[in-house]
Amino acid sequence: MKKLVAMVLTLVMALMSVSALADLVICQNKVEITQQMEEYAKLYTEKTGVPVKVITGGGSSDYNTVLKSEMASGREPDIWVIEGPSGYELWKDKIADQTGAEWTKYTAAAYMDGDKVVGFPVSVEGYGLAYNKNILDKAGIDPATLTNRNAYAEAFAKLDSMKEELGLDMVVAMVAGTTTGMTWVTGLHNFNVYLTVGNERNDTTIIDKVLAGEVVPDRFHQYCQYVDLIFKYSDPDMLLNGTQDSQLAAFANGKAAFYHQGNWMDPSLVALNPDFEIAYAPHAFLDTDTDGILVNPPSWYVVNENGNKEEALAYLNYLATSEDGADYMVNKAAMVPAFTNVTLTPATPLSKSVMEWNAAGKTYDWQQYKLPDGFGMGTLGAIYELFASGAIDVDQFEAMMIDAIKGIAK
Amino acid sequence: MKSMTRRKLTEFLFLFPTLFAFVMVIIIPFILGIYYSFTDWQGTGAVSKMVGLDNYKAIFQEPGFLHSFLVTLLFTVLNIITVNVVAFIISLLVTSEIRGRNLYRAGFFIPNLIGGIVLGLVWQFIFSNILPSIGQSLGIAGLSKSLISNKDTVMITMVIVNTWQYAGYIMLIYVASIQGISKSVLEAAEVDGAKYWTRITRIQIPLMANAFTISLFLTLTNSFKMYDVNVALTNGGPVTMFMMKPVQASELLALNIYQTAFKYNNMAQGQAKAVIFFIVLTIFSIIQVSWNKSKEVEA
Repeated sequence: MKKLVAMVLTLVMALMSVSALADLVICQNKVEITQQMEEYAKLYTEKTGVPVKVITGGGSSDYNTVLKSEMASGREPDIWVIEGPSGYELWKDKIADQTGAEWTKYTAAAYMDGDKVVGFPVSVEGYGLAYNKNILDKAGIDPATLTNRNAYAEAFAKLDSMKEELGLDMVVAMVAGTTTGMTWVTGLHNFNVYLTVGNERNDTTIIDKVLAGEVVPDRFHQYCQYVDLIFKYSDPDMLLNGTQDSQLAAFANGKAAFYHQGNWMDPSLVALNPDFEIAYAPHAFLDTDTDGILVNPPSWYVVNENGNKEEALAYLNYLATSEDGADYMVNKAAMVPAFTNVTLTPATPLSKSVMEWNAAGKTYDWQQYKLPDGFGMGTLGAIYELFASGAIDVDQFEAMMIDAIKGIAK
Repeated sequence: MKSMTRRKLTEFLFLFPTLFAFVMVIIIPFILGIYYSFTDWQGTGAVSKMVGLDNYKAIFQEPGFLHSFLVTLLFTVLNIITVNVVAFIISLLVTSEIRGRNLYRAGFFIPNLIGGIVLGLVWQFIFSNILPSIGQSLGIAGLSKSLISNKDTVMITMVIVNTWQYAGYIMLIYVASIQGISKSVLEAAEVDGAKYWTRITRIQIPLMANAFTISLFLTLTNSFKMYDVNVALTNGGPVTMFMMKPVQASELLALNIYQTAFKYNNMAQGQAKAVIFFIVLTIFSIIQVSWNKSKEVEA
């Protein structure tokens, strides 16, 4: 009997110490900053005595699976990441109201449900076509002129003809493969170019039409020509087999003049020591001029209503308002903070460029996450890959895309 | 009488832990799963409404699912053949008088100890980086591009990797069976003048019929349910055309079900696919086992 009691006691103590190991459980989706985030969590524990555990789900589709399993595990995360309306709708019942929290004073990018503040902007992120300034200078191309599709067509053709003397393997480093899991670049980020470029940030006419199964014929036609242009001047092998790493390596080693990725690649880019100046050019896919890159908080931290709510709010306030938080966001994780009280400027090239475009007010919205789950990466991504493989031409591509979009309304 | 009930109770108590686990993790989820396949459940929250057979109707009109069905059948047939042929040949090799046969046994079995995800990633690197660079430097056109990103060769890569992993395991079953054959039968045949090939086809193979039943069953279910290597090696890609729609060329059924449930967040439809998957696999397995059983002989 004594033995049994002792055993039960040990078991209870073991269970208690497991939960004591983490007062605060955070489930997040940015694989590239896992290490930085865990270090910050450790620092936070040192300063406040609150143990924090960070769970990271890799890649954008896997994160949702990880989050669902964590939610079902019996120890729900106190803070997790939503990527937009579909994530918010899915977890709405569990998400706490953060209205009036200290951090809300310093940002305009919070996730709102009506008047309620529900999401803390993780950062602002942006993407365009990053360029290698050395190569453009050598080819005599002024990046400031790249504001419509014809300008790009000319610039790409010129770079392509000078490939050998510039040491280029391809003009644009672009990826579209399912095998390597890169269809989010095409089906979500590139498709968003069609959704928002040239429009006001809160203008939702194009996405609303897509959700009703329609496209704007002339705009969509021009968009398909732009995709054709990018694919034509990329490398066929890179398109189908390129990974996030090989795409980055091509650009960082000066083998590609343009790079279709966002500033979240900064930590990896800097690690490769590129010896040239880098900035963003706009995704100007129209005949007419559009001058701006695509900037948005890509995700928001939400707080669990049923979890350790006070500790979670304190953690987020500290992140937004303390020097440690600013140092982590800007210097360690190389993110562009969404908070006006943060005065540090990012040292890394892509984030710096995003901050400049953002400060100039030349930005377009991200609306790709309003697409139904899996539609961008899966359904559209497959068509982009088919086009990249050369199995269909640009007209078939346009027809199949329109057909797939029609399928949404069903 | 009293001792009978006591005995029954003891039996039940011994059975209880396993039975409890089995009911909790297999029986109840299975029944719930069938129920969800008739609803529009999204994976969180409560079921909002029953939709009858709509999920089943939709999946049979979906080119992606039908294509997955066909490639799964293709993969299963190819894989059963290659795994068993290779396993049988190497089991003959390691039961012969060859030197170092224990080393070979261990060597052939080791790939089976590596997890499918690791294995898939390692082979992905081989197929999309190492082989193309060898092909390019030697000027072999067939190898100079990744075999994975070609829709015509991607299934071959799946079969190669799975055979490499699984043949060693099936080999063990054949080895045990070969060693179980009485030496006197083989010696008698040899004295009667039967050649090596005749001894294998007329004596060993018929006497090994029960090993074939098990091996074919294992390879059938293993190939049909293949998921981990599929995810890590090809992720279902590349894209190909089927019924005028783009579909994933190497997406086997298990991966297609996963993608429906988690990527498209369509739990109920994924569940309906899983029910169909279960029914088809059960029918195939029953046919295979009863056919094989009829071939078994007593020695």
